[in-house]
Amino acid sequence: MSALPRDLHPVAWWLWAIGLATAASLTTNPLVLLTIVGVVAVVVTARRTDHPWARSFRFYVWLGVAAVVLRVLWRVVLGGGYPGDVVLDLPEIPLPDFVLGVTLLGPVTQEALVAGLYDGLRLATLVICVGAANSLANPKRLLRSLPPALYEIGTALVVAVTVLPQFTQSIQRVRAAQALRAGDTGRVKRLRRFLVPVLEDTFDRSLALAAGMDTRGYGRTGTATPTERRTTGALVIAGLCGVAVGVYALLDQTAPRLLAAPMLVLGTLVAVAGLVSAGRRVQRTRYRPDRWRPAELAVVAVGLGVAVLGWWVSHHQLAIAYPSVSAAPEVSLTALVAALLGIAAVAVSPPPRTAGSVR
Amino acid sequence: MSDVRAIPLSPRSRVTLAVASVLGLMMLCWPLLVRVGDEAARIDPPFLFLLLLPVVIAVVVAEMSEGGMDARVLAILGVLSAVNALMRVLSAGTAGVELVFFLLILSGRVFGAGFGFVLGVTSLFASALMTAGVGPWLPFQMLCAAWVGLGAGLLPRRVTGRWEIAMLAAYGVVAAYLFGALMNLSGWPFLLGVSVPGAEGDLTFDPTAGPLHNLHTFAAYTLITSTGSFDTGRAITTAVAVVVLGPAVLTTLRRASRRAVVVGVTDPMATTDQAA
Repeated sequence: MSALPRDLHPVAWWLWAIGLATAASLTTNPLVLLTIVGVVAVVVTARRTDHPWARSFRFYVWLGVAAVVLRVLWRVVLGGGYPGDVVLDLPEIPLPDFVLGVTLLGPVTQEALVAGLYDGLRLATLVICVGAANSLANPKRLLRSLPPALYEIGTALVVAVTVLPQFTQSIQRVRAAQALRAGDTGRVKRLRRFLVPVLEDTFDRSLALAAGMDTRGYGRTGTATPTERRTTGALVIAGLCGVAVGVYALLDQTAPRLLAAPMLVLGTLVAVAGLVSAGRRVQRTRYRPDRWRPAELAVVAVGLGVAVLGWWVSHHQLAIAYPSVSAAPEVSLTALVAALLGIAAVAVSPPPRTAGSVR
Repeated sequence: MSDVRAIPLSPRSRVTLAVASVLGLMMLCWPLLVRVGDEAARIDPPFLFLLLLPVVIAVVVAEMSEGGMDARVLAILGVLSAVNALMRVLSAGTAGVELVFFLLILSGRVFGAGFGFVLGVTSLFASALMTAGVGPWLPFQMLCAAWVGLGAGLLPRRVTGRWEIAMLAAYGVVAAYLFGALMNLSGWPFLLGVSVPGAEGDLTFDPTAGPLHNLHTFAAYTLITSTGSFDTGRAITTAVAVVVLGPAVLTTLRRASRRAVVVGVTDPMATTDQAA
């Protein structure tokens, strides 16, 4: 689409990843899940920047591998009694009665292993999708895109992220000062002598920072009238109560279905309306805000498309979405298209800005 | 020694906080609440909650900061989040030794329950941003840490001196075990899976069994996997840190709080101080 390298809106990448994660959470078909993982890996390789957070993807992949291994190991250690073909006959080790008469090991069946593998793969795909969003989206710009109602929290988080390098300075100064003086050499007392000045220094700096923020108009903006506050409070409380009822009905399947999904959606909408209402008091403009351009919308549309197709497969092709553990999994054209569609994000998004591409 | 309320909680905020806490608890304890209907449908872990919980947390925090926040409170909140995040990163390498709670509890004690709640949310979020540890587990961690900070602010105010340190250390132990159990509960059905009819694993969540049976299964699971190792490590570290460093850090925090929080302005929200 556009050839000029630039960073995509971070929220767009998150929504794309959530779309893929939604599709992954609605299936246990290993072929579909592995395709999604492959798609995610391709997109991350093609669209990540060379910032430090972009290198975190590898960590999430290992985490995913760990999830699969852990899940299968659990099946081996605790899965005795799962019916099916025995592939490995391990001795049973009964534990004492107070742990529910749990037995460790026991015969391992092929079905138990496959079931553990499928479930673990789904969890791993979910983790890898979130990891993709992490390495594609710039966390600092993401903080700037927080809704206005969370403006204070966002400011505090920006302070937290930027203040970190100052600690090293503080620590070095206190160390240097203490090296010049005699004093307690016991471990605990030395730690205390070290920690208190560092903390004091930190607070001094933060109060200086606060004075600077005060003069620039950050902080308290309590301009909301009592009526506005009442409206916000009512919306928030009503919304949360609605969500609570919805969650309960979702879990208790004997409750009327009208209370489940519709109530959940309604409650969430009302609560989000409360969030918007709380944000109205923040009258602040953003310096160079991230804009929503066609490329961003296209990436979000790709994520949404994947989620919708995944949902359709899970409702209309049950045997494909949740394959049997005793036969080889099959895949349908729709499921494959759903999984592969995510790769379109590469085509519609601009290349990232890297050190090489700037000049 | 009078402590302050850096983020005052209006009655409306308290109701919001209570509703959201119940809601969060429902999303954490869903395996104990599930009731299947007559037809045996396939039960999957509700991945929806992973999306819903961040919205709930955002809404609550927005409601709490509705009245606006002083720039000094903002700065202190940011700095304490950074210190907490740093301690989490430093202590993450060693199994079970976790130092996040130590400063969270002391700050909640000094700056009040509302501040403790928000600090729990921001600390975990900041540390996740710094170490790229954002994952499906993050919303649950944020909520549980927020409860730890909130609880520290709600402890009785009258206790001072040595007894205060003892109380905070005991609270740290309880909080460490509860945090571990709740985090286990959130991960249990995801990590071990949901048992399907006719094929029960020993420690997996079984939707057709009653809540008591599942609670029992979960207790065995958490006892075997983490109570002995991670949780005990976390509890011991927190208690030792509170006892050894608590008095000095409390003094430092109180000095900072006296300079940072101005009480007695014409803001009607600040008068809740006398009520509590």
